[in-house]
Amino acid sequence: MESPKDRSEDKPKLLSVVVDDDESVRESLPDLLREFGFAARAFSSAKEFLSSGCVDQTSCLILDIAMPGMSGPELQQELKRGGHEIPIIFITGQRDETIRARVFKQGAAGFLFKPFSDADLLAAIKTALHAGWDFTVNF
Amino acid sequence: MEEQVQDPAQEIKRLQRCINDLVSLLALPAIWSGNEPSYVVEMLLDALLRMLSLDFVCARLKDPVTAAPMQILRVSDSCKVKVPPRDIGLMLGNWLTGDGENSLPPKGSQFGGEDIAIVPLPLGIHGEIGMIVVGSERADFPSQTESLLLSVAANQASIGLREAALLREQKRIANELDRRVAERTAELAATDEELRNEIVERELAEERLRQEEQELKRSESHKATILDSSPDCVVAIDQEGCITEFNPAAEQTFGHRRKDVLGRRLDDVIIPPSLREKHRTGFARYLSTGESKVLGRRLEMTALCADGREIPVELTITRMPQEGPLAFTGHIRDITERKRSEDALRLAHAQVVRSEERWRSIFENSAVGVALADLNGRFIATNPVFQKMLGYTEDELQRLTFLDITHEEHVEEKRMLIGELLEGKRKQYQIEKQYRRKDGQPVWVRNNVSVVPGTDRVPRFLMALSEDITQGKQSEEALAKARSELAKVASITSLGVLTASIAHEVNQPLSGIITNASTCLRMLSADPPNIDGARETVRRTIRDGNRASDVITRLRTLYSKKEPSPESMDLNEVTREVIAISLTEIERNGVTLRHELADDLPQIIGDRIQLQQVILNLFRNATDAMSAIDDRPRELLLRSERDEGNQVRLSVKDSGVGLTPQAADKIFQAFYTTKTDGMGIGLSVSRSIIEAHHGRLWATPNDGPGCTFSFAIPYTQEGLAGAEASVSRVDPSTEAA
Repeated sequence: MESPKDRSEDKPKLLSVVVDDDESVRESLPDLLREFGFAARAFSSAKEFLSSGCVDQTSCLILDIAMPGMSGPELQQELKRGGHEIPIIFITGQRDETIRARVFKQGAAGFLFKPFSDADLLAAIKTALHAGWDFTVNF
Repeated sequence: MEEQVQDPAQEIKRLQRCINDLVSLLALPAIWSGNEPSYVVEMLLDALLRMLSLDFVCARLKDPVTAAPMQILRVSDSCKVKVPPRDIGLMLGNWLTGDGENSLPPKGSQFGGEDIAIVPLPLGIHGEIGMIVVGSERADFPSQTESLLLSVAANQASIGLREAALLREQKRIANELDRRVAERTAELAATDEELRNEIVERELAEERLRQEEQELKRSESHKATILDSSPDCVVAIDQEGCITEFNPAAEQTFGHRRKDVLGRRLDDVIIPPSLREKHRTGFARYLSTGESKVLGRRLEMTALCADGREIPVELTITRMPQEGPLAFTGHIRDITERKRSEDALRLAHAQVVRSEERWRSIFENSAVGVALADLNGRFIATNPVFQKMLGYTEDELQRLTFLDITHEEHVEEKRMLIGELLEGKRKQYQIEKQYRRKDGQPVWVRNNVSVVPGTDRVPRFLMALSEDITQGKQSEEALAKARSELAKVASITSLGVLTASIAHEVNQPLSGIITNASTCLRMLSADPPNIDGARETVRRTIRDGNRASDVITRLRTLYSKKEPSPESMDLNEVTREVIAISLTEIERNGVTLRHELADDLPQIIGDRIQLQQVILNLFRNATDAMSAIDDRPRELLLRSERDEGNQVRLSVKDSGVGLTPQAADKIFQAFYTTKTDGMGIGLSVSRSIIEAHHGRLWATPNDGPGCTFSFAIPYTQEGLAGAEASVSRVDPSTEAA
């Protein structure tokens, strides 16, 4: 669903991508991101994302950790290998602190436990993009 | 007087007679010699009476010695005087009382009417001796010759008496002399005796003195030796308080030389400065009042040594018993060592007492019963817990042996075990057995019995620690029940996995809800509000909420603590339920699930929940085994079938990492896991559950990758009948098609 309202139409919207095997996440998160002012797309697997062709346009990746096939951290490795410097915010339903440490060590930009609030998500995105924003977002 | 001249012959006779008489008279003194005066007189009187034929003669004498008057009267038989002699005596007596001639009665006095011629004859020159009076009634009395005779007689009498007196005097004097001599002699003898005694005494005294001197010398040297060799310090002082004696022991103890301290004041030498004042006042008080608090008593004090140290000492002071000025002796002993060992002993004793109290306290307050018995089993001591457990008092127990209170069933065993203990075949044993209380009730105890080795003071004895496990025994059923419940609750899935599964199952819808609701708010706050978008998010929210609720319900059903209720069930149905619950997770893990569940599966008797737990565990294990697999499909194959031996089998086959030979042994052990976050209880409990269903659970490696976990449970005859019935319902025609 596209947001009908655009504050600054001359500014291009940044693309936020959601990769999660959970349908409800793929359903709900993009709408929220659009409310934030991003363009948003959702994929059900890492493979789907990699073969989507949006990788280069992706400004920010919201990535589930536990997925069948290539897991979130694995995708992270893959993107790094491919030279893509996309800031990644990991999301997960499993309360495992060790994994948190691991992904940050590997260069994650953010980490959120499900369920998270919209404020938390926004803060994480802001941090991930180093607050060097040249677009207008709705807070 | 007219004298007739007589016949001359008669005259001659008369004269001859007179001469004879004279001679006789003259001879009288000789006869009288040595006799008493009274004898003399009597003899004379008799002679006169006879010679002159007198009528009476009387003599009156004065005892020369005593001056007592003596009167002798002789009356002749022929006297015609009728006057009794006593009267004559009286009469004469009157005449004779005076002395000299003044008392002479007139001649021719009258006696009783008769004229009597009396002749007084004074004795002695002046009649001092006495008087004789003769009387005769003859008229011619006294004739010349008679007068002559009388005077001669008187003379003789005087002589005789005088002689007698003299003799007596002589005798007396001789006696006196004798007496005096004897006296003197006796005196002399006595004096002599006295002198002799004195000499003896003096000699004895000298001897004694000599001995005493020797004794003194000996004792002096003895004393000196004692003083010198005495290990105790002996210090003597005079009444000035100056030292007069300081024996070698004192020299050593105090570090002063004898010659250095003699004459110095005691309190300057060995009394510490802090005590000097007290000493001086006490000493002065004694000197003035004779009162002392210290004499003769054993005191403990400090004394000062030459090097300035102060040492604890034991001290006795006595006054020296002697004449002359006061002197005192002090016996002093350095008791530093003694004090030290006293303190050590006190400390050790206190420690022993404390330790004893502690052990006693432990014994008394132990939480378990403690009983000590001799080798015959008779109770020596028991603590309150034991007594209470058995319902006996300490005294009662001391009259019993442990066999007396052991339940009949356990007596033989006890006897044997005790025997082994005493023979040394075992050091101790532990046993659960029953005692019989005093009131007859049995009580279960756990006993630890051992032999306590003896010491040289105490022989060895038996000790039993008894814990009342009656409660324990009674609740063993409850415990077993609780254990099985615990096992069920702990169940196949570990706690971590359980919470993870709950959390996971619920989290998905929850995060959807939150995200959608947040989006909804934003959409409504937009200008203009995005109503359609909001509506969509609300719809999703409701859906996710329901989803969450379903999950909770499902999980609650799955993990509810219901009693294991064996029921007849279809394993396929059970399995399908499990698939429904875990499908999400399985698919999420990229696992493809295939199932080949047999149609003709007979019913089994079992616990639905428990079996579901087992299947769930196997699913999870299979999924985990494939989680790292990328190079091939992750496939989970479920198969159910009838097994030989009247069993139903379910197999879960994965394409995962498979089993290493080492792992194959261990996987069913509790807590074994290859997972980094698993608890590994699953397979162990699973096996227990299957075995409780009279089945078995095992794992086999696949021909290809992965392994297969299978379990088989016996089915019932009814189950079989049911299965066959259902099979027969199948239309052969449709089957063919």
